[in-house]
Parts: sequence; C-alpha cells; structure tokens
Amino acid sequence: MAKTRLIKGIAAAGIALLLPLTACSSGGTGTSTAGTGAGTAATGTLTIWDYEGADSAMSKGWAKAIEIFKTEHPGVTVKSEKQTFEQIQKNAKIVLSGDSVPDVMEYNKGNATAGVLASEGLITSLNDVATKRGWDTKLKGALATTGKYTDKGLMGSGDWYGIPNYGEYVTVFYNKDMFAANGVAVPTTAAEFEAALAAFKAKGITPLAESGAEYPMGQLWYQLVLANANRDFVNGYQLFTSDVDFHGTEMTKATETLDSWVKKGYISKDAAALKAEDMGVSFINGKYPIMVSGSWWFGRLKTEIKFNWGSFLFPGNKLNTGSTGNLWVVPEKAKNKTLAYDFIDITLRPEVQNVIGANGGLPIAGDASTISDPQIKAFTADFSKIVADDGLSFYPDWPVAGYYDVLVSGFQSLVNQTKTPAQVLDFIAAPYAEGKKSIKG
Amino acid sequence: MAKTYVPNRHHQGRLRWVILAGAVVMAVVMLIPFGIMVMNAFKSPSDYSSHGPLTLPTEFYTQGLVTFVNRTNFPLKLWNSFFISSLVAVFAALLSVLNAFALGIGRVKGNMAIVTVFLLANMLPQEVLIYPLFKMAQAVHLDNTPWAVIIVFTVIQSAFGTYLLASVLGTFPRALLEAAALDGANRWRTLWQVVFPVVRPTVVVLMIFFFIWTWNEFFIPLVLLTTPDTQTVPIALASLQGDRLMDAPTTNAGSLLSIVPAVVFFLIFQRSLTRGITAGAVK
Amino acid sequence: MSTTAAPARPARTTRATASRSATSGGYWPYLIPGAIAFLVVIVVPFAMNFYYSLTEWKGGLRPPKFIGADNYIALLGDANFWTSFKTSLAMIVAMVIIPTLLGLLLASVLFDYIGKKFDGKVATFLRATYYLPQVLPVAVAGVLWGWILNAETGALNVVLRAIGVADPPNWLGSVSTALPSVMAVMVWVQIGYPVVIFMSALERVDPELYEAAEIDGAGWLQRFRHITLPQIKPETFVIVLTCTIAALKVFGPIYVLTAGGPESSTLVPSYYSYLNFFPKSKVGYGAAIANVLTVLIIIVAVAITSLQNRSARREMEGR
Repeated sequence: MAKTRLIKGIAAAGIALLLPLTACSSGGTGTSTAGTGAGTAATGTLTIWDYEGADSAMSKGWAKAIEIFKTEHPGVTVKSEKQTFEQIQKNAKIVLSGDSVPDVMEYNKGNATAGVLASEGLITSLNDVATKRGWDTKLKGALATTGKYTDKGLMGSGDWYGIPNYGEYVTVFYNKDMFAANGVAVPTTAAEFEAALAAFKAKGITPLAESGAEYPMGQLWYQLVLANANRDFVNGYQLFTSDVDFHGTEMTKATETLDSWVKKGYISKDAAALKAEDMGVSFINGKYPIMVSGSWWFGRLKTEIKFNWGSFLFPGNKLNTGSTGNLWVVPEKAKNKTLAYDFIDITLRPEVQNVIGANGGLPIAGDASTISDPQIKAFTADFSKIVADDGLSFYPDWPVAGYYDVLVSGFQSLVNQTKTPAQVLDFIAAPYAEGKKSIKG
Repeated sequence: MAKTYVPNRHHQGRLRWVILAGAVVMAVVMLIPFGIMVMNAFKSPSDYSSHGPLTLPTEFYTQGLVTFVNRTNFPLKLWNSFFISSLVAVFAALLSVLNAFALGIGRVKGNMAIVTVFLLANMLPQEVLIYPLFKMAQAVHLDNTPWAVIIVFTVIQSAFGTYLLASVLGTFPRALLEAAALDGANRWRTLWQVVFPVVRPTVVVLMIFFFIWTWNEFFIPLVLLTTPDTQTVPIALASLQGDRLMDAPTTNAGSLLSIVPAVVFFLIFQRSLTRGITAGAVK
Repeated sequence: MSTTAAPARPARTTRATASRSATSGGYWPYLIPGAIAFLVVIVVPFAMNFYYSLTEWKGGLRPPKFIGADNYIALLGDANFWTSFKTSLAMIVAMVIIPTLLGLLLASVLFDYIGKKFDGKVATFLRATYYLPQVLPVAVAGVLWGWILNAETGALNVVLRAIGVADPPNWLGSVSTALPSVMAVMVWVQIGYPVVIFMSALERVDPELYEAAEIDGAGWLQRFRHITLPQIKPETFVIVLTCTIAALKVFGPIYVLTAGGPESSTLVPSYYSYLNFFPKSKVGYGAAIANVLTVLIIIVAVAITSLQNRSARREMEGR
C-alpha cells in the first residue's frame, strides 16, 4: 500500500521531470535564429533587460525604439525582458559573470554601481563604438561624466561604458493651492525660500514632506551643499580630483541649515522612519505643501494629484542634484554586441527621444518644442536649463560604494537630534575616506 | 480518539467565556495586518495616495489585481512556484525519511552528531550560499532552471526534516522492528511497510511546512532564476518595488493573490496536524 | 515482548544477531543520497565562502586577492559588528523566548480549555489564525507592519491619538523604540509555529497520566509541571533549536522594516554581512562576517542538541 503510493509518487515526479526539459530551451538567452535569414540582414536574437515601470516615459520610448529596430533588422527576434530592480541591483555582479546574459541592459550610474561592473570587467568598453557612431558628440559635459569609468571604477574619465538616454533632476514640487491659501509666493532666492518655510510654520503647517529612511533627506542636504559650492567642489567630491573637507564651509553651512530646519519644525520630527513612498503620498494627499525630490515622481504626481501643483528649481542654486538617467550597458559576455550597439543608437535618435520627452521623461537629445503638454514642457525646460548651465551635480551617495546607507543613518541622527551637525559630518566623513582610498589606492 | 475528562468541580461558566474572548482578541490582533492588506488590494492608486493605506476603499477597485496578473504573467509564476514547492516538499520529505531511518532506527555510529551536521544546512546564512551556488549551478548548466532551486531547497528543508524525524524515530518501538526482522523482511521493506505508515502523519506535516517555506523563499531564487519565465511568485511581488517608487495597492493585490495558494494548502492539510507531529501513542 | 516458538538457543542467537545487525553497518547506504546532496549544496559553498573570507574581492570577473586573515582582524575592531551581535540577543528574546512561552500558553489554552469547553473546531480555527502570519512572505509582512507603525499615519498611532495620547512614539524612527517594535513584529510572525507544534505535542500526551494524577489530587498547575512539561520535552527542544537558529540568522524583516536603522540600532549580523556583499561590494569582508555568524550558530546549536541528547538519555535510563 505504501509501496504503490511511492510508485505513484515517483511516476508523478518523473512526468514532472519531463516538463521542464521541453521548457528548457526558453530558459536563459540563446542565439536562436528566427525566421528565414533574409540575405544580408542580421539574424539572431537581441535580448534587452530593463527595469523601468511599464507606464513610464522610458518604457514608451524604448517600445518605439524596438519597433524601429525591428523594421531595420527584420531577421532578428527581440526579447525584451522586464526585470526586478532589486534583482539587477544586487545580482548583476553575479549574473553577468555567467553565460546567460542579455545583450544590452539598463543599469544604474555611479562609482558604486556601473563603476564596479566596469572595474570587474563585466561590461564592455564602448569607446570605439561611441566615437564611430557619434555618441560622444551627443553627450557632452556632465552627461558624459556618468557614462565613463576608469578601470578602477571611478566615474568621469576613462572609457565609455554606459550610454544614457534620459535625465533626472531634483526640484521643488509645490502645492499651488496651499501656497495661495496661505499667501505664500513662489520663492526665487534662498532667503525667500526660508521665509516661505517660516510662513507655513507660523500658520501651523509643517512645510516640507521628507523621508529619513531613504534617499530624500540626503538629497535635500546635498542641494544645500551645492548652494555654497562650485564645480571644482563637485568634481572633488564625486570624481576625487581634489580633497574634500567635510568641515569646510560648503558642508558645514548646509548641515547647520538642515539642523536649524529640523529644530524650527520645518521638517517633521517623525520623518526618521518614513520612506520615500510615505513622503510622496503625504504630498499627494495635501498634507505638506512642499516636496523636494526628483523628476521620477513627475508621472505619478501628474496622474494622481487633485489640486493645482507645479515645480520650481531650488532657489539660489546654480548647481543641482541630478544626472543622466540610467545607462545602457553591454555585458562583456554578450553574444550579439553589434545588435546591442544598433539598439542603443536607435534610442538616441530624435524619434525615440521625443517620445520620451512627450511623456515627461526628460530626454537628453530631444527637441523640447515637440512637447505639447505645457506642464511637461515647463518641467523639461527646467532640466534643459540646468544642462545648459552645466549644473548637473549627481547624487550625494555616489562617490563610495555603500554610502547610501551611511547618509541615511547620518541624517536620521539629525532628524532625531541625537547628533550635532559637526558629529554628523564626522560620521559621514569616515566611510567616504575609506571608500575613496579603496578606489584611488 | 475520544478523551474522557473529569470536569473541574469549581468550573465557572463566566470564566470560560473570558478566556475564549482573550483568545479571540489575540486572533483578531493576528489578523489585523491581513485586513489592511485586503483593504488595499482593492483600492485604486489615487485613492491610496489621497487617503492613505488605512481607510476603506472608496470604490471596489479590481484593476490592481488585473494589472498585477497581466504585468507579471502571474499564472506562469504561480505554476513555477507550485512546481518548485511541491517537488521540494516531496523530495525533501523522502530524503528526510531515508536519513532519519538510518539515524533514528539504524542508530548509525555517532548518529546525533550526524544529525547536527545535517542541520548545518539550516544554519548557514543565505549570503554564504549565494555566490558559490550560482557558480556551481552555472558550471552544470542548471542556472536559470527550477532544478537548481529544487536541489538547493531539498537539501535545506530536509535538514529540518531529518532532525525532526530522527528524533521521532529514536523512540520507535523496537518490538515492531524485531517482529519484521523475524518475518524475514529486509531493511527496505521494513522501512516502507512498517516504519513509514506509523510516521506518515509526521511526514505529511513536514511536507506542509516544506511547501510553505519554499513557496515564500525569495533570496536564493532571486539569484538563481534570472528571467521572467522561470521566476516565482515572491520575485514577481518584488518586481513592483522599483528603484525609487513603489506601487502599494498593486503590491497588496499581488500579495493577496500570492498567499492564497499557501493558505489553501495549509487549510486543506491542517487536519493532518491534529494527528500529531510525533509518532502517536502506538499501542 | 513476544518470542517465537523455537528451540531456546537458536532463537536467542537469531534475536541477538538480528538486533545487532539492526544497529550496525547496513544502514549506511540510506544516508548516501542525503550525504551527497549535503556535500554539494552545503559543504562546498561553506568552504568556498571560507576561501572568499580570506580575500579582498568585489565579486565580478577579476580574481579575488588573497589577504589572509586581514578581514577577521578588521572585524575585531569593527563596532558595527559587535553591535549587531547585541541586537541578535534581542532577536533571541523576540523569536525564541517569548514565542516559546507564549506559544505554550496559547497551545495549552486552546487545547486544554477551549477545545474541551467549547468545540474542537473553535480551537482549530483559532490555531489557523495564529499560524497565518507564518504563511505570509516576510516582505509583505514588512510593508503591512510599516503601515501600521508609521509614526504619522499609522493605525497604531491613529488609535493612540484617538484615545488621548498626545505624542505617540515614532515607533520605527526613534532609536529607543525601533528595536522593540521590530521585536514585536517578530513575535507576531513567529508565534504560530510553536502553537502548532505544541498543540500536536499536547495531543500526544497520554490522558491516563492526567487522570491518574487528578485522582491523586493534583491541581492543574501541578499536572502541567509534572506531566505535561516533561512529556513534551522533545518538541520543546525542536522549537527552541530551530527558533534560535532563525533568530541568529534573521535578515528579511530587518531588511524590509528598518534597513538596520535608525542609526544602526537594529543592525543584525546577517544584514551587516549583506551590506558588505552587495551595496559595498566588499565580498571578502561580508564572507568573513557570515563565517563568524555560522560558527556561532553551530556552537549554539551543538550546545542545545547536547542538552537534548542528555535529557533524552536520562529519560531512557529513568524509564
């Protein structure tokens, strides 16, 4: 009796064993030729990995790019696979060292991410291709900085390893209705900005939506640092071209200002554990009139906000937190590199860039005049202004691997008022120095 | 088995209701988060953003569920999870029975030490296994197939199964074994015709645990399964968490869908739990 | 014990040889599949991880650089490392001590009291609700509890404010309340496991033992202490061991609820190891942390299983 059950079990397992053998061919990536190779046209498969939301401007642009690609490469099958951000972020190092890798992949920019891949030989150098196809003329200044990495993984110089498609920047989103109702005008200088915060507080409204458990606090701090800084400082901080004094004026003033804002109640003292999601939701439901955060919120705000809202650049800053969007990288072990290069080239073309632009995705090689929606147009114009002024200054957690968690922890202490500004700077200075040493040697 | 019980002479009608109330309150506390999850599963994103996660939805919104199912190709993920979890449940239970037979009944030399060594499989933090397992799976071309995941979790879960079953079989009545031996049964037959029927309830319990534990595994499958067609339900859930944005209502809808199979599985098989984790009083 | 009707000497020898061969040799083949699988999936990675811990490596295609015991030396001076083990102690309280005690209490109440005074079905239903959190993936539980414990909009603080508490604590954001909050969530997650196991253990106890004791005049507490507890010792050991291992290894809830914060107040060894493996790309260092954690777990597990063996042996002898 037990024996027949055992036999049945083994039989069931046996049948189950056969199933994946048939499905085996779909696992991983292969170069299965599709259709009949039409003479000179390339055949094969192009595998693309990305992790942008399906409704995002980027995804829409890339869908168009895939369309164009297919018409130009009729014999090629395109496999576009949506990945989990978590997966790519953590596992890229492991997965790319294997054999089942995509041909072109979206990846984050910066020393801690693309830099590590570059230094580990996991992604292909795109130097020759970039020159041949003219990408290096389309991407200049700060737009080029995020795509180049030294063999130690330091951003800003060395070979091209990643090609960006779009941009991002941090701005001030505000609730027009609340501003009007409380008689606050849109500030144009740093002093007016503080005055606006004070005005809201005087009426009993905490002005700034914030999140201490994720990136927003660090980005606000960085905006304040940039208010007092210049391009040399940024290069020193981000690219290690010079030493950075964590107790110098730029950082000290910024930290003290942030500290005073917490003390004056401009930032909720409960913000330490709030996530970015909480911050966004509380702005959308009208609890806070101001949210200093990135362009990635734009699409969602546009769909979900019911009141009048807008954005303005952080008053008084020439330099702004922001950069290119994520990069296309080509894994070293990719099998169809030429096809990958073709695809990347297509994403930089005006047709695709304008689709990204029309949906608020901040294109870097597009024509702003083709955007019809006035709100998107103004939003994109702000970005173009920053790029024209060469004001993109990247993000505070980029220089050193793992710095994100250090900054989060440091600024939680600030919100909780358990560390003084000087102590916070001491706390975040040490890992920076350690990380810098491991890259520069 | 009916149990006779001498009623307490000082039994108070009031007391039993108080105690029941206490137990029910505990149950409600346990269920509150689930209630929140259900509430948000049927809420539209703008409703969620305007009113937060703790209000009842203004309208019964099912689009979140639909979006989730389509976007993640949920039926495929469901099948992948089911395939992996059931096979692990069966294989790990089988492996546990074989191991425990040798250890608990066979009293192989140093058996308790061996059990502890096997338990090492459970003791290793996941980070230790990630890199090596990936490299090995690749070397044998099993990466991005369910088999790598099945093999890994069969070993990990069977560690617990071996431990539990070996403890149980350690107290197995010798009389039955000797009777079988005298009847001329070899060890294999003894195992399947004498030992297994007695501990079947325990084995079923193990299979339940293994299924649920494997179903919820996230980290190792995340590393070993790299394309959407092989991935499992927990990975599909994680896909809703983007770089900086999170889609909360859809995450809840997805979570609701993902735990339904595990819950159903548990409810169906929970009757076996009453038959005892340990070999019942064999009289 | 029955004996076969056969001439005395042959029977004794047959029985003697039968039991001797039953306890030696011959059972080894049954361990082979398990041993092979174990070797491949566990021992080899463990060895590889030990190797990584002796190197400096970012985890990609470039070869690891051998640096000997440097990672371990650095660990000794790393404050985060020691803090994380202190937090582990808190996890043991939250995932072993409280669930075991509370689980035993709940199981007894459900089994002894509610099952008898009301209906077995009621007890079964309640047990299912207590177990339900175990079915929920940790990531989802983290999101849900994050919503409840949210200082501004969370259910808990909304209720507290409604009943008049002026300034409810910032549960997950304040250093003093973050760890206790995580501990409370872990109790919620863990409690179903001991309840289920204890309930079946209680079912296993022979009711005649209780009846005999009651006739002797023993009250409920005495019966509990002298009959129930000793009888369910095997299950108790299983629960304590598996929960302790889980507590030392805990990763998911920390990752989702607090990411080790605020200000590293909820940092656990597993999470610290992960930080080094992935965001920091210091694979060698992360491997060293994981190694130390594993060795600690092994020591604790061996200690508990030795206690278990000793107690089992004492029982066998006492019998």
